[in-house]
Amino acid sequence: MSPDPVRQMGSTVDKKGLEAALARGVEILDKFLPLKSWLVFPVLFAACVWAVRRVFDYRERILAWQVWLDPDFVRTKPDEFVLAFFGRNEAIGREYAVEIARGDVRALRAAFPALYPIFGLEDAFLKALFKAEIDAADYRAIVVEFASRSAKARDDIRSAAADPEFWKALYLIAAEAAALGLHLLKDEEVQDMIVALVKGPAVLGPSIPPEA
Amino acid sequence: MKSRLFRALAPVLLASLTVSCLAHLGRAKRYYSEGQDQARALQTERAVASWKRSLDEAALACREKPSAQSYTVKGLAETSLGRWREAEASFLKAYHLGFDEGEAWASDAALAGLAASFERLDLEAPALRIYAQLIDRSDFKPAVMLAAEKRTDLVLAGAAGLDPKERDRALAGLLRSLDRLVDRDFACGLYHYLHAQVDGHVGDLRRSYEEAVMARELGLPTAEILRDNDNQLVFCYDRLTESLPAAERGAFAAAHAAWAKSWGWRDDRTPAWKKE
Repeated sequence: MSPDPVRQMGSTVDKKGLEAALARGVEILDKFLPLKSWLVFPVLFAACVWAVRRVFDYRERILAWQVWLDPDFVRTKPDEFVLAFFGRNEAIGREYAVEIARGDVRALRAAFPALYPIFGLEDAFLKALFKAEIDAADYRAIVVEFASRSAKARDDIRSAAADPEFWKALYLIAAEAAALGLHLLKDEEVQDMIVALVKGPAVLGPSIPPEA
Repeated sequence: MKSRLFRALAPVLLASLTVSCLAHLGRAKRYYSEGQDQARALQTERAVASWKRSLDEAALACREKPSAQSYTVKGLAETSLGRWREAEASFLKAYHLGFDEGEAWASDAALAGLAASFERLDLEAPALRIYAQLIDRSDFKPAVMLAAEKRTDLVLAGAAGLDPKERDRALAGLLRSLDRLVDRDFACGLYHYLHAQVDGHVGDLRRSYEEAVMARELGLPTAEILRDNDNQLVFCYDRLTESLPAAERGAFAAAHAAWAKSWGWRDDRTPAWKKE
């Protein structure tokens, strides 16, 4: 039996090798996912984050993903908790400064269910799913699109997820990336690499659902 | 010639099939208990993977040599994965093959699945009634845990729209039922997490902090709940350090720093999973 590639992780980054591995990943995943590429980026990034952070064994994380997509925490929070969340995150606090100053808890509560899983619980998949909006600091667009886009992602992944080969492929891609030193890069660098590949010459399609 | 060869090989075939079937059941049990251990050790994803492996092995064992044990293990793995309808069928088969408790477990799994379906259809009232019944009457822990979690969420969401008096009454009732659950099974981290959440709503931040600490120490069923519980800890810590008298504040901060260190947090307000 070959040893787990993660155990062999070195202390340097083989950037070219890594790009090649991720490119292969994009190519492979594109065969599994519907609507071609829009889901490739969040799926691949989430797998890489789990591989890199290794909070838990990432192979299990990938296997457990179908469950992860259905979070089951207590969603209703007291007003003070909601206010503290908006106060703790500087960028979001800036965007909602007027509502915070007005004490408009109703408006903040309406935005909370979309923003909390991404910025409060740091869900890697959701972060990638809304990368364009996060980069543009367009938090209100996330709030508007959250329900429809995340539901669409769940539906679109379902058919791919039913194929055991999909999980095997995802694991192998993440394992190869981890073995090449992905853990030494920042999340943003990994995101940029994958985005460049998804938007690259292969033109696999847009990175967000067209009708989202 | 062929039949003589078959007669000669039959015991060998039978023995190897039996061994293979026992191996499947043995592996199914082992994976299931590994999943339970991993869940207790906060390794949520590893636990889910183990339950999935357990389910695969149990399904093979059921196909090759159906028995009360193989269907019970299959039902337990399905329950752990939230597949209530399939679990109901497995427990019923286990009951018909001689597992006495299988009938009650099948009924509770059916109720849990039904309540979840009602909830998906936005029929909250019947869902709440079923969850309350499971909390009060069921001895099947996975169903009780699901019911406690779902009921807490639904009652909190409903209470937000009530006038203050009714809201207080609804939250007091919810706390009483969570108290009973904690009394019944003090070692269940999920019940402490739910208690901490409701304590936050009634403004009892000391109790909320203590319950969240217990939840973290005892283990939580998913990584997302663990993160939400950590956020509750930070929220309570911030509010309590603001409001406590100076003498108490120092002792509280020292205790919290010790907990944070034991959990591997980067500092008093930053759990390890938070992005730097």
